Amino acid sequence: MAVRLTRRQLLIGAGISAVALKSPGLFADLADGTAASPISRTIPSTSESVPAIGMGTWITFNVGSDADLIESRTEVLKTFLDRGGSVVDCSPMYGTSADNLGKALNALQAHDQVFAATKIWTADESATRAQAESSRNRWGVARFDLLQVHNLLGWRGHLETLKEMKARGEFRYLGITTSHGRRHDELARIMATEPLDFVQLTYNVLDREAESKLLGLARERGIAVMVNRPFQGSALFRRVQSETLPPWSAEAGISSWAEFFLKFVISHPAVTCAIPATSQVAHMQQNMAAMYGELPSESLRQRMATFVRSL
Amino acid sequence: MTDVDWLSYSLQDFLMFGPQVFPRLFIRLNQDIWPWQLLIVPLALVVPWWMCRPAPALRRLAVWLVAAAWIGSGAGFLVRYFGEINWPAVWFGWAFVAQGLLMAGLGTFCRLKAIPKGRAGAFSGLWLTSVVVLPWVPVLQSGELAALAVFGLTPDVTLAASSLVLAMMPRVLLWSLLPIPLFWVLFSAATYWALQMVWLLLLPAATLIVFALCFWLSPSSARSRDRQSVHRDPVRR
Repeated sequence: MAVRLTRRQLLIGAGISAVALKSPGLFADLADGTAASPISRTIPSTSESVPAIGMGTWITFNVGSDADLIESRTEVLKTFLDRGGSVVDCSPMYGTSADNLGKALNALQAHDQVFAATKIWTADESATRAQAESSRNRWGVARFDLLQVHNLLGWRGHLETLKEMKARGEFRYLGITTSHGRRHDELARIMATEPLDFVQLTYNVLDREAESKLLGLARERGIAVMVNRPFQGSALFRRVQSETLPPWSAEAGISSWAEFFLKFVISHPAVTCAIPATSQVAHMQQNMAAMYGELPSESLRQRMATFVRSL
Repeated sequence: MTDVDWLSYSLQDFLMFGPQVFPRLFIRLNQDIWPWQLLIVPLALVVPWWMCRPAPALRRLAVWLVAAAWIGSGAGFLVRYFGEINWPAVWFGWAFVAQGLLMAGLGTFCRLKAIPKGRAGAFSGLWLTSVVVLPWVPVLQSGELAALAVFGLTPDVTLAASSLVLAMMPRVLLWSLLPIPLFWVLFSAATYWALQMVWLLLLPAATLIVFALCFWLSPSSARSRDRQSVHRDPVRR
């Protein structure tokens, strides 16, 4: 099937290439110089490529109308985009996050550079379209790339409406989310029966329940996987705060704990992208570094998981 | 309808905002209303004097001032600032406004007893501690002088101080004024705990202590103890 690129897809692709060409410093530590471009993954339903590290906005962008903090979050978003990121995820549940994301996108004039993903979060199953439109206005985007039913809330009604909206071209990809490892059985049933493009779930070096069923099912059904809580809501950093990186982690070009945790996630073959959230530019730089260089092999992944569990 | 396993949630899961944002609310509020603090703080300082005077009009004025403080901190800090980043704060904000209106009404239509003379010093001391010392807790937490929590503008300090005025209300009416303060103490303590902002826990803790002391200071408490002593006086049998 022929794949037609939209202007946005073209810009995202060009952006990734431009970062690769203009930021040699990003790749200076690569051992063989062959992997000098961002790690990207393919969305199974269209074969479109997206960068493997995205950006979440839960808590971090909910700063109200605080002009200073909105400016600092704009810098975080700028760093994300400058380093080749494009997938940004939000939800109406996240307070003022969507408004501030919209302000940041406006300040950077970057609406065309993002793969815009949000969620439908309301128990009112007749409010799907209205909430999607409200979110679109808050972001200031022409249309969303991905709309997801948040935490399975009212999923039957929302999915029906979303399928109609997608068929009309009102957005491009359809998804459903869960987090904290909750309701995996129900999610699996939905994945098995509904025409989903994406699922979003929690997966990290300690929370690996998704491996037992959902990740395999996603591959089997051709569903892209977006991973939330890759740092277990920063608990992983607390767990390793007095630890130094094990020397063998250098095998995968890992130079920080953020890279360690993120490379573990995105190296799973079923994972399309991880969406860590941060409020600091320095942390965003570390997150985005995980999108370059080598990925751990399966044996190294097991070693990573065993090591973190032992702490 | 979906099944929700509430036991799988931790307190942190309900937090919608980060610890960096909360002290900024105090800073922004102080910046936005400056220099009104220069009027509000001196007004707060005269409340104990008004409450201890025999003239009922001054006590009524004191209650109106405290009622205005509830309305101000509810509609201002809670609805306008905190409510932006945390939805329950909006509900609390309007509850504070309702409580302020209720206090104003009770202050207008009820005859308030003066603070017993022997307890005026303790009342004034607790009031001044609440209004002068507690505002520094957010400063201690954030390291920012501009994060001062001013009485009448921020909920915890307003609540801690005004629980002394609540104690002046007739005991039968006091119970109608307790639920909102108690719910707020629980909510704020849970929020500060989840944010790991341990110094801020001093605010709900101080409020509870002042609450307990207010029963001892209240005129109705003093009166009932006097009544007991009257019954036990063998001379009057």
